Amino acid sequence: MSGGPGRVLSLARAVLAKELVDGLRDRRTLSMALVFPLLGPLVLAASFSLVSGEARTADEQGVKLPIAGAEHAPGLVAFLAEAGIAAEPPPADPEGAVRRGDAEVVLVIPPGFGEELRAGRPAPVRLVVDESRRMASHASDRVHAVLAAWSARTAGQRLVLRGVHPLVTTPLAVETVDVSTPESRAALLFSVMPYFLVMALFMGGMAVAIDTTAGERERHSLEPLLANPVPRAALVLGKTGASSFFSLVALAETSLAFALVPVLLPPERLGFSLRLDPGVVARIFVLALPLLLAANALMILVASRARTFRAAQTTLSFLMLVPAVPGFVLAMTPVKVQPWMQVLPALAEQLVMVRLLRGEAVGAGDVLRAMAASLVLAAVLLAVAVRDLERGRVLFER
Amino acid sequence: MIALERVVKRFGEVEALRGVSLSVPDGQVTGLLGPNGAGKTTALRVLYGVVTPDSGRATVDGHDLATDRRAAQERLGVLPHAQGLYPRLTAREHVRYFARLHGLEGALLERRTAEVLAALEMEEFADRRTEGFSQGQRVKVALARALVHDPRNVVLDEPTNGLDVGATRAVRALLARLRAEGRCVLFSSHVMQEVAMSCDRVIVIARGEVVAQGTPDELRAATGKASLEDAFVAAIGSEEGLG
Repeated sequence: MSGGPGRVLSLARAVLAKELVDGLRDRRTLSMALVFPLLGPLVLAASFSLVSGEARTADEQGVKLPIAGAEHAPGLVAFLAEAGIAAEPPPADPEGAVRRGDAEVVLVIPPGFGEELRAGRPAPVRLVVDESRRMASHASDRVHAVLAAWSARTAGQRLVLRGVHPLVTTPLAVETVDVSTPESRAALLFSVMPYFLVMALFMGGMAVAIDTTAGERERHSLEPLLANPVPRAALVLGKTGASSFFSLVALAETSLAFALVPVLLPPERLGFSLRLDPGVVARIFVLALPLLLAANALMILVASRARTFRAAQTTLSFLMLVPAVPGFVLAMTPVKVQPWMQVLPALAEQLVMVRLLRGEAVGAGDVLRAMAASLVLAAVLLAVAVRDLERGRVLFER
Repeated sequence: MIALERVVKRFGEVEALRGVSLSVPDGQVTGLLGPNGAGKTTALRVLYGVVTPDSGRATVDGHDLATDRRAAQERLGVLPHAQGLYPRLTAREHVRYFARLHGLEGALLERRTAEVLAALEMEEFADRRTEGFSQGQRVKVALARALVHDPRNVVLDEPTNGLDVGATRAVRALLARLRAEGRCVLFSSHVMQEVAMSCDRVIVIARGEVVAQGTPDELRAATGKASLEDAFVAAIGSEEGLG
């Protein structure tokens, strides 16, 4: 029945050509393949510029702090000014102003401040902030730190007056040594990239994978198709090829967009240098190719077993998260790599991606092992899909 | 020449075909007549190779669907029960796709495509996407892609279902032409008049079994009824499921 691999490939090409034309004319297919891949890089770029922009404004411009009752504590106000926190006239209703977002932080110094201070009792000040506002927290952190410094200095002066060396109140000297490099700091930010890449593999081809299987059955075009003298392998290969094409477009677009993030966000804007080596991006792209094939074979197999178009959609949207989640976890917590992880498709690739992004040397063995595992998985899934079709279970006998 | 030999097919508890044997000669139009649910569609699906029988065999020009599906399907043009089209492809693209799946290429593919589109008078809408086609236009697309490889044997499952008068007449004319060209034509229907008008021979199927076969005259003689309709009712034993 087969007529040789040449005939299978020739007929697979016919199926591929038809499904590509069909897919390229489908708005759903195009939007999933072309628009979604930009989501990850956009989220990344937006969060970068937000976080860094905020830190930069606070550091460079200093914090403007409305102070109510500044006249009660001229020494404290002067100390704040020295630390770069400029006093401003207070709003009439400090709490309302902060709640409305008119002011980020307001310091309220009550009239009894000086008296308490002179008596050696804790002198009350009130810091009005809205902790639910991300933008406010940096300013309030700064004010907190300066207030604490003033408090410590005043305590030290009091101890000196009583003949005690201030250092006795500092039994612990904590020194933090930051061993991170610019690459590893950038890698932390890029650690979401494997997650979005794996998502792109699935999202890119999903519409075509569903349309050419569950969709084909639902619109009753599968039966006439199967009445043709075509080896089932040609059908599976052609359809998987078509969905893989759209995944490839999505993968290329995602990789490219991530590579462009550092270009769009220059170091002077970020406050630190963010680099993504084009060579690393290229290696990640090639590394992902067997996984791309496996992802599409999986979608073709699962969608062809689904009862309806919608059922296929629901199942695949959920299924897609399974291989993507490890990437998400890897972004959050470091994992001790076990040998089985290096041959588990999707996880193996994401482990290598994370190391490449961190600028570590990755041996060819690790890369090839991951790629071979995904290739084997793809072959198994394709074989099962062909067997399904040969047994006719896809059509009526369910 | 297409044939079924003692074909049995069960779907779970339901025995859809209970040992169906039939033989359809070249140069004739043979009607497969039976009430809804008699097993017509299952019998045809076994014939064109999308349902595998539990026992028995189906052949096209002597090629067994089970052991040589490719050779059998190459000699077969099929208008299946389901005639779904691809809404984003044009009529011509449908015909070309199936031509390629039958191994046609290049100039031959283009010539056969043009011929079949002309024969079915489809030029006017050949390059429009099939989304929004009338039922008659849809059936023509399905027929064109079934016939583009010039098959010796043609199987049609309820070809006139849902068609208006004009389209029904066009299908009838097509059946006559296929017979004149010496092809083997088998079509199913649950409509008495349809079969009486187009067929040289009739095979009556009921409850998964062949209950009568022969020319319309032979059927009338065998059942002792004057009209083919009465003969049909007598053959299947009830009026249940007649359209």
